[in-house]
Amino acid sequence: MTLSEAPVGSRVRVVGHERPGACQCASAIAAMGIHPGDEIRVIRAAPFHGPVLVEVPSSGVRLALGRGMARSLIVEPLPA
Amino acid sequence: MRNDRSDRLGVRSVALVGQPNCGKSTLFNALAGFKANTGNFPGTSIRYTRSLVSVGGQSLEVVDLPGTYSLTPRDAAEEVTRRFLEQGRADAVIAVLDASVLSRSLELLLEVLEMGLPTVVALNMMDEAARKGVEVDPAALEALLGVPVVPTVATRGKGVVAVILKALGQTMRPGSGRPPTYDRDVEESLGRLAAEVPPGLAESVGRTPRSLAIRLLEGDFWEVQRLGGHPESAGLLEAAARERRLLAEMHGWPEDTVFGSHRHAMAVDLFEKVATVRPRRRRSRRERLDDWIMHPVLGLLLAVGVFAGLFGVSFYFGNFLSEVVAGPFDRIVEAAVPGADRGLSASLIRGFLQGVSGGVGIVLPYLLPLLLILSLLEDVGYLPRAAFLVDGLLHRVGLHGKSVIPLILGYGCNVPGIYGTRILESHRDRVLTALLVPLTACSARTVVILALVGATMGPWWALGVYGINILVTALAARGMSALAPGQVTGLLMDIPPYRLPPLGAVAKKVWFRVREFLVQAWPILVAASMVLGLLEWMGVEQGVNRVLAPVTTGLLGLPEAVGVTLFFGILRKELALVMTFQALGTQHPAEVMTPVQLLTFTLFLTFYVPCVSTLAAQVREVGPRWTTVGVLLSTGIALAVAAATRLVGLWVA
Repeated sequence: MTLSEAPVGSRVRVVGHERPGACQCASAIAAMGIHPGDEIRVIRAAPFHGPVLVEVPSSGVRLALGRGMARSLIVEPLPA
Repeated sequence: MRNDRSDRLGVRSVALVGQPNCGKSTLFNALAGFKANTGNFPGTSIRYTRSLVSVGGQSLEVVDLPGTYSLTPRDAAEEVTRRFLEQGRADAVIAVLDASVLSRSLELLLEVLEMGLPTVVALNMMDEAARKGVEVDPAALEALLGVPVVPTVATRGKGVVAVILKALGQTMRPGSGRPPTYDRDVEESLGRLAAEVPPGLAESVGRTPRSLAIRLLEGDFWEVQRLGGHPESAGLLEAAARERRLLAEMHGWPEDTVFGSHRHAMAVDLFEKVATVRPRRRRSRRERLDDWIMHPVLGLLLAVGVFAGLFGVSFYFGNFLSEVVAGPFDRIVEAAVPGADRGLSASLIRGFLQGVSGGVGIVLPYLLPLLLILSLLEDVGYLPRAAFLVDGLLHRVGLHGKSVIPLILGYGCNVPGIYGTRILESHRDRVLTALLVPLTACSARTVVILALVGATMGPWWALGVYGINILVTALAARGMSALAPGQVTGLLMDIPPYRLPPLGAVAKKVWFRVREFLVQAWPILVAASMVLGLLEWMGVEQGVNRVLAPVTTGLLGLPEAVGVTLFFGILRKELALVMTFQALGTQHPAEVMTPVQLLTFTLFLTFYVPCVSTLAAQVREVGPRWTTVGVLLSTGIALAVAAATRLVGLWVA
């Protein structure tokens, strides 16, 4: 599934990117602190299909990802 | 290469490099006095600022570079930083790390070290890291990397002098540390690729063969494009593609992130060696605050409340201050030059006094509270949260993600808003946003709204004008994005923790902006007032007014006298306000204009041609052609909105 489908409050592991190389999203997201293999937590979602706020607990990074970005990030659910 | 960097200026130069919102500009200001704009908002510095400082009896140039997440730039602001470093314009680099997100900060540090520049590390935000339960050992980091590491708390000036002294030492005895080595297979790839670099090529782009090989393995778009121009580098680019494929296959990662992932792994490894993390059991109070502030419903209501509050406080405080200051000034003007005296000297003196009083009696009272509250919102970290909440709404009008940042900045002042468009990746978004920013009611226009509508018709009407401004800006965005459909580039934004800025820093920042008004705008205001006095005396003013009459009185139903003020409003928006009072011959416009006229005129002023500073910024960012389009667009919108207001007024009456 993609990050945009992960429910608020859930923990997921980043698997990779949809269409890697198609845009510079993959490297942009990586430079801002989310890498394949990272465990991330979905903290909240903005109204009107706005961004999702995620946290990388291991590094303390907190990022808002717009829905388009969230749809490009493939994740797998982790047990709560 | 290295010699010409310092000889050019005769002074050594130290550059501050760091990720957005890591406290570079705060550190810079602590060194140089208040010169760079700061805010708890990633991307506050879009251009670099430099300053000469004196350390230990030596002059040193300190350069504050725009924040960048990595040295593989993705937008124009990041490109500034990378080019500055490549051109060898810094004798030493101070890498500012945010200790509270240390492992990410370390990735940038590794890139800086790979460039082989003499480096000192400022380990900033140690207090915030401690709050997150992260303890960092600077000595361990220093031992692992071989470069000086100084813990700092830039907001309190701690460690600032130590850092700059170490940097000065680095400019004299350059040592670039030891960047850790990568896995064996990565190092082998790098070695093979570095051997393929034609002699002299790396040096010609300010790099070592190894650091060039690293850029190529990363698939650095700029580097590949630049080398594409060199005929002798075709073989090198082919070899790079081959090595990238090889690494990707070996590690099972996609090509474009395989190298970055290795650097990331290295940074994580370093982080684990130098930091200890105590897991927290409870969420901190500041985190729980976000449950309210970023709540989908409450948060949006709160955002409306915050901006209405900003408006209301500025209004009431401004009104109060304005009456206290402007009343006595009116009496002075009347005593000095009786209204009946129409001679040349009387006209000039009256213009002078009215300009002086307009600045301190009308503009400053509203501007001061507005700047104070905006600064607080900026420093506390509220703005990125507001951006998070409204991003979804902006999507509905066809604006994407990051556009919200320049637009929010535009409500403070259009000029940084225009420069802020540099953080947008696509040309289409940059142009679109640069055309929209001048429609936003900046603080100067807000002053006009408060003084012309608020003070005469009440705060709710002023708020209404503000609402119309937001609505029209949204409609314009919708229309323009429908004309230029483009690819969606999504939002990707750091949400910084809340920070309580030291009051001294807030005061300095407000003073910085007030001084800008007093030194730059006020003299223009006074001079323009005198020019208007002169024009009145010569009778030219009436000619101008008559030429504009078909629009001002014919189309919009305004007093003919306001015509000439529109020209002054292009210099600065506050000027239109002060000039209007002067042209109407009263500080109480409600005596000579009806409420509908006041609304019509104010709406026209908020939308028509932006001020010259904004136009200059627009020309720089998107060129004269788009600037012209913008001027026509905003004038068209101004005419349409003002004419519509008049019609509604006629209909209601």
